[in-house]
Amino acid sequence: MAITLQDQIEDRLRGVQDPETGRDLIAMGMIYDIRVLGDRAEIDMTTTTRGCPMADMLRLGVEAAVLGVEGIRSAEVRLVWEPPWTPARMAPG
Amino acid sequence: MAWFGAALLFLLLSLTLALGGAVGPSDWSRGVGLAGVHLFTLGWLCLAMLGALIQFVPVLAARPPVLPVLALPALLAGIGGTVALATGFLWLDGHEAVRGAFLVAPVLLAVAFGLAAAMIVPLLLVRASHKLAEVQLALVALAALWASGAAMTYNLSGIDLMPAFLPDGLGLHVLLGVAGWLSLAAFGVSYTLFAMFLLAPEGGAALRLAVRLAAGLTLGLILLAGMLLLVQGVVPAVLLWCLTALLPAVVALYLAEVARIWRLRRRADPEGNMRWSRVALAFLGLAALLAGPALWLGGRWAEAAIFVALVGWLSLLTLAQMVKIVSFLTWIQVFAPLIGRAPVPLVHHLTDPRATTRWLSLWGGGGAVGGLALLLVQPLVFRLSVAALLLAALGLGAELVAIRRLSHLDPQKRPATLPPVIFPAPDKRSAHDHARTA
Repeated sequence: MAITLQDQIEDRLRGVQDPETGRDLIAMGMIYDIRVLGDRAEIDMTTTTRGCPMADMLRLGVEAAVLGVEGIRSAEVRLVWEPPWTPARMAPG
Repeated sequence: MAWFGAALLFLLLSLTLALGGAVGPSDWSRGVGLAGVHLFTLGWLCLAMLGALIQFVPVLAARPPVLPVLALPALLAGIGGTVALATGFLWLDGHEAVRGAFLVAPVLLAVAFGLAAAMIVPLLLVRASHKLAEVQLALVALAALWASGAAMTYNLSGIDLMPAFLPDGLGLHVLLGVAGWLSLAAFGVSYTLFAMFLLAPEGGAALRLAVRLAAGLTLGLILLAGMLLLVQGVVPAVLLWCLTALLPAVVALYLAEVARIWRLRRRADPEGNMRWSRVALAFLGLAALLAGPALWLGGRWAEAAIFVALVGWLSLLTLAQMVKIVSFLTWIQVFAPLIGRAPVPLVHHLTDPRATTRWLSLWGGGGAVGGLALLLVQPLVFRLSVAALLLAALGLGAELVAIRRLSHLDPQKRPATLPPVIFPAPDKRSAHDHARTA
């Protein structure tokens, strides 16, 4: 099965850790949606709490990671808080 | 960070004075003793709490900080007010030259609290801040604490603003400070911070509402007692009975809510800050049990209850969380810009858990032994406990500096330039640092 750009982005985001827990952003359930439109990626992500002081830095970090995927030339990462993150969104383990 | 740095210096100074014999069982009313007590309560705990509120209320309210430019003048006024008050108390020991400092202290503290309130209160009025109701109550208590303290200060100087307040109002002043301002502020911020650190859902609306109502009623009764003392010169026994029942009830409800958060955590192995916060909560429970005897019997019971609350509950909680907060803020300063671009360490890699455990254990042990020494009126044992507390505070202070210097991190992972130990580094990033397109 061919590896899509979406898979590559997801794989890249598995390399971005939440510095508190050591778990990656996908496992933390902080990435809500990944959309690929040609060479442009759009990501919806959240933080564990709405006022998180790292929110913008995490957003910029995700943007940088996504732009590192070959074939992606532009990226827009949106911070969203609906639905709010809860620990139930974390992957088991 | 500057608030925490100043607070730690006051902690070391107050413990040094205590070790030098400024205070001891049944010996708290000399000028130098009152100076030491206020360096601890006002300089250490109050400044650390104000710094924490200025840092975390915007996070918890999910709003940008309000008037951040006021933080430095508020801190300077707080430091000045604390130094002036402590110096002024020496006037009671016959140092006539320092009387002026005594008179100016309430003014400086009013400026400090007013500026801090201007930063915090607007954030407490937004809808997202309904979870911070205890902080609102805490600020009401702080205002009353300042008023009662200012009245007593001027009383001692021979200016009778509220003649009936001293010495009968001393107990209420202590209650406003320990149970009202400091404990309620700690309650208010701890729910969300504990849930964040433990990866637990917050929820718990019913229990939290019960804490809020019981705490509001308790604070209302303390304020009523203060007013009756001013008007009638006496606090009715029925009010004391109510407080005897309410103080442990508020604590029991709060502990039940924290226990609920702990049970629902997704973090199987909590970090040291939370494990030691649990010990601090045990001290809170102990202080609540001692509250009744303290209210009715006073003397050594009151000394032990207040010591356990200030040293075991509030200070241990503050010290444990300070290690976490300092490492977290340092990580943000140094490594957050590298997220997604380069490998970064985890926040806890900046700390040395064994060193932290060693010093927090010593602090907890010193708190327990000191409380017992006050209850049993053992001056020598009390002095030894203060020595342990001072050693623990020095160790933790060194550990915090090590965290700021990234000393526990593999040298290869350290950046070429380290952040300043106290003041934040100027933000040199620009929009060009994060190009949006490849």
